[in-house]
Order: sequence, then C-alpha cells, then structure tokens
Amino acid sequence: MDIFNGLLLGLSTATTLSNFAYCFVGVLLGTAVGVLPGLGPIATISMLLPFTFGLPVDTALIMLAGIFYGSQYGGSTTAILMNLPGEASSVVTTLDGHEMAKQGKAGRALAAAAIGSFFAGTVGTLFIVISAPLLASLALTFGPAEYFSLIVLGLITSMVLASGSLLTAFGMALFGVILGLIGTDVNSGAARYTFGTPYLLDGLDFVIVATGIFGLGDVLANLENEHKRIASVTHVTSLFPTREDWRRMSMPILRGTGIGVLLGVLPGAGVLLASFSAYALEKKISHRPEEFGRGAIEGVAAPEAANNAAAQTCFIPMLTLGLPGTATMALMIGALVVQGVQPGPDILSQQPALFWGLVVSMWFGNLMLLFLNLPLVGLWAKLISVPYHFLFPTICVFIAIGVYSINNSVFDVYMMALFGVLGYFFKKTGAEPAPLILAMILGPMAEEYLRRALLISHGDASVFFTSPVSLGTLTVAALLLLSIVSPRFRKVREEGLQEAD
Amino acid sequence: MKLSQDVLLGLFFSVIGAVSAWIAWSYPFGTSSRMGPGYFPIIVSSLLLFTGLLVLLRARLAGSQPIPTIRWRPLVLVPVAILIFGLTMENLGLPLAVLLLVILSAAASVKFRLDWKAFVGSLVFAGLCSVIFVELLGLPIPIIGNWLQGLGF
Repeated sequence: MDIFNGLLLGLSTATTLSNFAYCFVGVLLGTAVGVLPGLGPIATISMLLPFTFGLPVDTALIMLAGIFYGSQYGGSTTAILMNLPGEASSVVTTLDGHEMAKQGKAGRALAAAAIGSFFAGTVGTLFIVISAPLLASLALTFGPAEYFSLIVLGLITSMVLASGSLLTAFGMALFGVILGLIGTDVNSGAARYTFGTPYLLDGLDFVIVATGIFGLGDVLANLENEHKRIASVTHVTSLFPTREDWRRMSMPILRGTGIGVLLGVLPGAGVLLASFSAYALEKKISHRPEEFGRGAIEGVAAPEAANNAAAQTCFIPMLTLGLPGTATMALMIGALVVQGVQPGPDILSQQPALFWGLVVSMWFGNLMLLFLNLPLVGLWAKLISVPYHFLFPTICVFIAIGVYSINNSVFDVYMMALFGVLGYFFKKTGAEPAPLILAMILGPMAEEYLRRALLISHGDASVFFTSPVSLGTLTVAALLLLSIVSPRFRKVREEGLQEAD
Repeated sequence: MKLSQDVLLGLFFSVIGAVSAWIAWSYPFGTSSRMGPGYFPIIVSSLLLFTGLLVLLRARLAGSQPIPTIRWRPLVLVPVAILIFGLTMENLGLPLAVLLLVILSAAASVKFRLDWKAFVGSLVFAGLCSVIFVELLGLPIPIIGNWLQGLGF
C-alpha cells in the first residue's frame, strides 16, 4: 500500500464518528489529568487505561494516543502556570515559561507552547507517514542479532540519560529485566520467579509496576513535602502573541521541531533529550543568551516544539519494530498487548487501518489540542489549583481501580501497592526508575532475540559483530557509554540533568 | 557503615541479585547455542549482585548522600488503605470500598479532618465511581459485595 492510499484509509478510519469522538475524549481526559500537578504521562495513561478497555482495537489505540499527547500538553500548562513540571521533559519549559508567567505574559507563553507543539506535531506526523513504512520494510530484513543490538542500544541510552550515577541506572535496568522475566518462559514452559503462585504465571503486568512506581510512588513522595506545595497559579491574560513574539519564536520552533523529530526515533532517548537539546541550542545561538532563564519566548517555543515532535516520532520504533524508546511507549505496548495487538514490522501490512488511522488521528488530536487548550486555559488553571489533599485520595482510587481492571484481579492491586512503596524507596535513594521500566519490557525481548541469534549461529557470539546493522548499533551504544566517561560530556550531562531535579 | 542512599541501594541490588541468582540456579542452564530457562536469569542476576556490591564499595570509598527524613504516616497509611481496598472491593462492593480508600488515604495528609462536608464529598465521589466504572464501563465489580449480600441486602 502506498502512502497516499494509506492516508485515505487512515482518514476514513479516523473520521468515523466513534473514533473521532474517542480521540476527542482521550485528548480532553489526557489534558485534564495531565495538568494536575505531579501527574506525568505514565501515571495519567495508567489511570485512564480502563476507559479504553471494551473499545475496538483501533478506537482504543487512538484514544490512548490522545491521552498521551493530551497529558504531555497538560504537563506544559502546569509547568508554565505553576512552575511544577509533571515530568522531566517539561522541566525546561518551567525555566522560561514560568518566568514569563511571573512577568504577566502567561498567556503568550501558553500560546507559544501551543503553536510550537501544533507545528511540531504536524511535522512529526508527516515524518511518521514517510519514514514508518520505510523502517518497517527495513525491519523485515532484521534478524534476531539486529534486534538484540537495538535493544542494547535502547537500554544503554536510557541509562546514560537517567539522572544520578550510571552504576545506579545499570542496577535499576538489571532489576527491571528480572521483573520482566517473571512468569512462564515462552521457550521451555518453565515457570520462573513465580514463587508458586498461579497469579504470576502470566508474568507481572508491566502496567501494574509502572502505575505503582510512578502513580502511587509519586503520591507518597508528594505527601512528604505537603507544606511546600503551596499552589500559586498565575493569572492568565492575553493569549495572543505579539508580532515581536511571532518573529522571535518562528525559527526556534523550526529548529526545535527538527531536533525533536530526529531524537524521538532514537531508542531510549526520546522526549527528554529532545527538549533539553533544543533549549541548549537556542541558548547557544541566540544573540541574547542572557535572557534565557529570565522569560525568553524562544526558551518556551523551541523545547515545547522539540518535546511534541519527539512525542510523535517516538511512536515509530514502537509501532514498526515493537521496541519502545521511552517508558511511556513501553506502557503503550503494554496497553496494546492487553488489547491483543503485538506491535512490530507486520503491523503495517496486517493491520493497515490501525496504523494509518492512528497516524491521521494524531494530527486531528493535535489540532483539537490547539483549539481546546487556548480557550479552555481558565478551566485548566482552576483544575491546577485544586489542593493536593483533595486530589491524592482521588488519584489513589483511580489507579487502584485502573490496575484492577487490567486482569480483574485483586492480586494486581496488592502488587501495585508494593511497587508504590518501592517507587518511594527509589526516590529516597536517588535512583531513577525510567531504566527499570524500559528494561522490564525490553529484557524478555532481549532474552528471546539473544536465544534465537545464538541458536542460528550455534552459540557463536561473533554474529553480533558481523552484521553491519548490528555492529553499527553496538558501536553507537559503546560510544555513548564511553562519552559518559569523558569529563566534558560528563559535565554537560550533570548540568542538564541537574536542571531536571 | 551509616545508612546512606548508596548503602541502602547497594544492599537492595545485592539481595535481589543474590536471591534471584539462587532461584535461577534450579532452572536448567543449557548451553550458549541452546539457552535454557536459567541461562539469561543467571547472567542478569549475577550482574545485579555484582552491581550491588560495586554500589556498596562506592558508598564505602566515596561516601554518599544521607537518606532524607521519612514521614512514616503517609508511607504506611496509603499502601494499607489500598490493601484494604483490595480486600473489600469484592466483599463490600465498590461504593463502600472507595469510601474507605478515600477516607483512609486522606488521613495521611497533614490537612486531614473529617467533617460532614468532606464525608458527603467522599460519598458523592464513591457513588460517581460506581456509576462510571461499573455501570458505564462495565467492570465486573459488585456494587453490593458478598458479605453484605449474606446479610440480606
């Protein structure tokens, strides 16, 4: 199927009344939950997961994607109005966005973020349209050795980009792999790490761990410094950027989009790296670098564009290779598997309506966000100012019911509570959970591909170095690891991630 | 050795690594060309054990951040509230379980006080949840649980 026919098919899928409506509902719910301070996309998606069960696969995926970029968007609104980033990638937005808000330019900062996001979303979607079919056909030639190397690259990137020490991140990733191994081994049928309970035979659901660590764990950590959480929401006035604003932000948006589109595809890097790099680039090439951090509109527009472009293109490896690049995409795979869809290179040929419908609906979703968010910003500001002591019991209820609804099992609710406490422990010990989450879904895949690769090569490990794709991927991974040892890169990484804390 | 961040984390990694390596020892290891179910877990858990020991060593040599003070009240109360929710949702039914979870977890906040307004609010929220999740989304959770049905409700 060529791109044109694909888009037509996508258009007809995405414009059915129910798909369009659920896309809207997803975007709306995603934004509403995403603006709530302290709730990142992962917690948002897992809370809203039960709303997608019982829907047809394509509708469910469209709604999930809507929730995802809605929550991303809501996160930047909170970052600007309240200086509280919902997740690491909107940290950069707080630097200049909140500064603008303090100067009474909140509306213009929000508009810059919205316009940048929409433009980047459009380009990102176009990029998916062009590159996903190419990558999928390329991926069909990939053997187990290539897949294994790509997984290694993804894991190493996520470790290098985690805040805190590399050794800690490595430990977290290994722990994640072990969690992923729980359940029945597909090859031998042996039950591993099930401790004799039948509940764990199908494995520990990834969504449960993510919800526990990011949803409940954050609640526990936030309750710690409740006194400090005094919500001061800035009042929003004029939403229209001035002519001067347009002039200053158009090039940064373009550059941010370019960075985001490319970095989003990189396994393990995704959204966080994109927004940081875009901000750093703008600061570097600006004529007025001293304005950054004091309310420069470029410092809002560029990272927001990069952020949203990456949020679109990180769907590419997830859909075409079945390899999630970020923890959020890992969660999307988890949700797709619950729906009975296994993402991979075959998804384009076997479920074209699903793929193209999703792509077209992404663009619709971005358009809706643009029109939904600017006029409704007053409503979002009200939502943000809901005090935390009313909010967190509600969050507890939603995540508990959400986790239960995955397998209709009370056991999962108990496991979620356990991982909530673990998430709190990780926070206290300064260990970032993102590599764990990614490793939990990539670990079992790595085992499977390693097994197949070695089976084909009769146990000869040189197979990973003879295939050019695999060799190239492993070289990039090795360079990344080496770069962290170099003092110069180390300094940049520490500075960049410091701002994330 | 004082309980710093790295000491706790190193202990955690080492214990998990050691235990999972010990468990994986009983799975057939296989060979490189025919990996058994134990092959990958043993490699990964030994690496984890090794990483844990390195983190401990780092704590010893370089020192590490102390653990920030812990507020025990939310840490105990909120997970317990969720456990009770799990225990009661099928036995008391969703509305009552939600009510319990809301009130118990809210008690973890420093601003918690149970007046009639908060109580009515929780009641309304519990009712809303039941309508949304059971009636609209069709989750198989009873509105009136086993225990209450036994009492003749």
